[in-house]
Amino acid sequence: MIELSGITKTFNSGQPNQFTAVNNVSFAIEPQRITVLKGPSGSGKTSLLAIIGCMARPTTGRIFLHGVAAALPFRAEGSDSVEITGLPERFLNEIRRSTFGFIFQQFNLVKGISVLENVMLPAYPTGEARTDFRARAVKLLEQFDIARHAGQRTELLSGGELQRVAIVRALINNPSIIIADEPTAHLDSRLSHDFMSIVDQLKGEGKTLLIASHDPVVCDSAVVDTLVDLRDGAVVQSRGPL
Amino acid sequence: MILHPAVLALLLIALLVSGMGSYAGYYGLRIQRFWNPASGSELQLELERKTYLISTIMNGILVFELMSLFLFVFTAEDLHTLFAGAMCAAGSLAVNPFGYPTLLLKIVNFLFAGVWLIINHVDNRGYDYPLIKIKYKLLNLLVPLLVLESVLLFAYFAGVKPDIITSCCGSLFGQNSGSFSGDLAALPHRPMQAAFFSSMVVTAISGIFYYLKGRGGYLFSAASVTTFIISAASILSFICLYFYELPSHHCPFCLLQKEYGYIGYVLYAALFGGAVAGGGIGVLMPFRQVCSLVQVVPAIQRRLAVVTLACYLLFTLMVVWKMVISTLTLG
Amino acid sequence: MNRSIERHLNILDFTLASLLRRKGKNGSLLAVYLLVVFLLASLQFYVTALKREASAILDDAPDLVVQRLMAGRQDLVPAAFVGEISRIRGVTRVKPRWWGYYYDSVNGANYTVLVSDDPAVTPGRVAVGAGVARARNLAVGDLVPLVSYDKKPLMVEIASIFPHRSDLVAADMILMTAQDFHLLFNFPDGQATDLAVSVRNPKELPTVAAKIVALHPDARPILKSEMLRTYQSIFDWRGGMTLMVLASALLSFIIFAWDRATGLSAEERREIGILKSIGWETSDVLLLKLWEGTVISLTAYLLGTVLAYGHVFFLSAPLFAQALKGWSVIYPRFQLVPVVDIYQLAVLFFLTVVPYTTATVVPCWRAATTDPDAAMRI
Repeated sequence: MIELSGITKTFNSGQPNQFTAVNNVSFAIEPQRITVLKGPSGSGKTSLLAIIGCMARPTTGRIFLHGVAAALPFRAEGSDSVEITGLPERFLNEIRRSTFGFIFQQFNLVKGISVLENVMLPAYPTGEARTDFRARAVKLLEQFDIARHAGQRTELLSGGELQRVAIVRALINNPSIIIADEPTAHLDSRLSHDFMSIVDQLKGEGKTLLIASHDPVVCDSAVVDTLVDLRDGAVVQSRGPL
Repeated sequence: MILHPAVLALLLIALLVSGMGSYAGYYGLRIQRFWNPASGSELQLELERKTYLISTIMNGILVFELMSLFLFVFTAEDLHTLFAGAMCAAGSLAVNPFGYPTLLLKIVNFLFAGVWLIINHVDNRGYDYPLIKIKYKLLNLLVPLLVLESVLLFAYFAGVKPDIITSCCGSLFGQNSGSFSGDLAALPHRPMQAAFFSSMVVTAISGIFYYLKGRGGYLFSAASVTTFIISAASILSFICLYFYELPSHHCPFCLLQKEYGYIGYVLYAALFGGAVAGGGIGVLMPFRQVCSLVQVVPAIQRRLAVVTLACYLLFTLMVVWKMVISTLTLG
Repeated sequence: MNRSIERHLNILDFTLASLLRRKGKNGSLLAVYLLVVFLLASLQFYVTALKREASAILDDAPDLVVQRLMAGRQDLVPAAFVGEISRIRGVTRVKPRWWGYYYDSVNGANYTVLVSDDPAVTPGRVAVGAGVARARNLAVGDLVPLVSYDKKPLMVEIASIFPHRSDLVAADMILMTAQDFHLLFNFPDGQATDLAVSVRNPKELPTVAAKIVALHPDARPILKSEMLRTYQSIFDWRGGMTLMVLASALLSFIIFAWDRATGLSAEERREIGILKSIGWETSDVLLLKLWEGTVISLTAYLLGTVLAYGHVFFLSAPLFAQALKGWSVIYPRFQLVPVVDIYQLAVLFFLTVVPYTTATVVPCWRAATTDPDAAMRI
């Protein structure tokens, strides 16, 4: 479970263009559930995702990760929780690599290299043997039915196929939490529904999912367990178990 | 000033090392002043990013310092033909009063930088940057030494002109010369041999004890640093005699020449490696109880202990081998 | 340890692919880098080879040469010196030498004329160097008039011409008998140009030299080591001067490299942002950038050095020869003996790769510390 307490993120503090993206947000993300952050653009969803996903640090506030299986040296003895605020980038990264997988709004795939190489990229700096993660990548591509595009450049794929490549890349290091930022922004409604089916499937495999979206297909989907409404960086309301 | 390409290369490196070192030192000062890991402010993030740069720069400086140390000796060797009376690097360095101080400071800076990098490595393993302030305080000690080294190097090469009569190896390292290196060579070889071997034995025993029991770190570290000094003196006093098979040739630089199979590089690499690793153990001792380093420091110290023991073992084996097979016998 | 090696290999793999994806940018950088290494390496190899040649030649020079000075200028040495110097303890042989310079008004060249006891050289017959033969278009058997100091022509026949291989020492040389030499220069009897002295123990040379000066204050003993030193200094100086000129080229290259490293294209920035956002740490991206620099540096260094080797030892360095060999009407044509050692290569490394690495460290780091958060908004 991820617990947020009083998270605030301010950019350019002390300057005339000071801007608060996230304002005193507190809630919890349940494990093996699908949580959706709903809100229009500018509501702070992306900043909040970055903070939860250990990509950015909050200006104030605290975040706890509970039930973290990885043997991290900065846990209190006997406890299974870690506070990740204030950790240096190196350790944030270790947690991010082992715990989180990301699916970005624009997919963020590297141009000029093949689908297979794109999918393997997150595993390169982990020190794992290449043969191992390559085999895993191929298996995942087959699971998501895009193995036939493995050798192709990403520029040649359709929106739905790119979506699945992004999902496979997010899964390559076998994370327990998947974060998706506006995953259906470039998809038609059929593909958006397909995406939610995949999300449900991943939940069934034991993953926790956190999705930021203002797409009704996502927000109103039956598979969603918790919905958190964000406006101007603050939680307006939430429904579902907190 | 001699416009020799190697001289220009050394001066260039000295400039770069001082420049980069000063740059790192400046940010070190900022880090000491503004560092606050609990804060998520942009200044803190910028400082954290800077630590990567400083680490990279210091790694670079260490590599350049080591390479330029050997290049300096080699250049002094190459230039010796330009000075009447100089038979090898020893004579070139004696041309003006800046030669030997430059060499000694280069050695000191290399050892200092090596130990700093050990501390840096340990600090990076701690999740709350536990040693950061100490680390940058030390950096601010090292940076002026690096700049001083560059100044001395410039002064040395600026004061070097061909055809200057200097003392050659024989008189500089001969028993009767009054200079420092002459005194060391004049140290009688029997006591020096005794000192050398006993310091090696003490280091080995304390090292093995430390590795197995985890106690006696300070003793081991002190022993290894003392061994480094005794070994360096021993090279001058009797070790090089066996390599040269000449009872009067005490020059420590000729070992680096082709005639002796460049054996000097291996000897000095082993010696410096042992000194840095051994010194690192002692420097880390005060931090064993730091919360975030409790598991990290002892593990790293054990690895350093292995490195120290291996390096000194290699050094001793080479010395003993040469003493056994050499045609020279010292009375 | 294994994990560390795997990490390096994986990142290196990506580095190579990444370099090949931007062939234009990296190709132009590599080309300029290669050129700089090539120029510096050529210079280095050439100067070192010349120095080696000079010391090899001087190996055969006499240990000690005694000249005589008159009012600070070189004057002839009386034959009486021979006996006196021979009696100094440690001296094994004293040989008078007769040599001088002959100015040829036809082409403005100076020839070195030397008295030799070579059997090919007899009264009226001389041996000449290949440079002399070229300058005056001579062949064996030709008759050449030399103008002596009392305006009488001295006809000599070309007995032999030295082979090209000896050009470095003998290009401008004319060997003749003592008789012809005295006729040509109206040389006074009982005098020599200088004396070549050999001693038993080379360590005694300075002592013997001191004794000679004590005997004859107007004598100037020159040690072989001093000659060697002077030649080394000249070549070092010339090499250094050319290097200073090249320094501006090196500096321009460093600025260019820095500019290239700093100017990341939008595409590159995006790529780094993506890498950071999918789990690459700053140190991983920094490693990527450093590997990029290393690959380019090593390629430029190796290729540049190899090309320089060919330039100097196969083509005789047409780019530098004029600046480094010195000025002369008669140029010896010679092929330098390949001389390359670790020391030279290390110096080259320090003059090229080290400044490049230093210049690109900060841009690499800046690229590596791109905020991954920003990548989320790309």
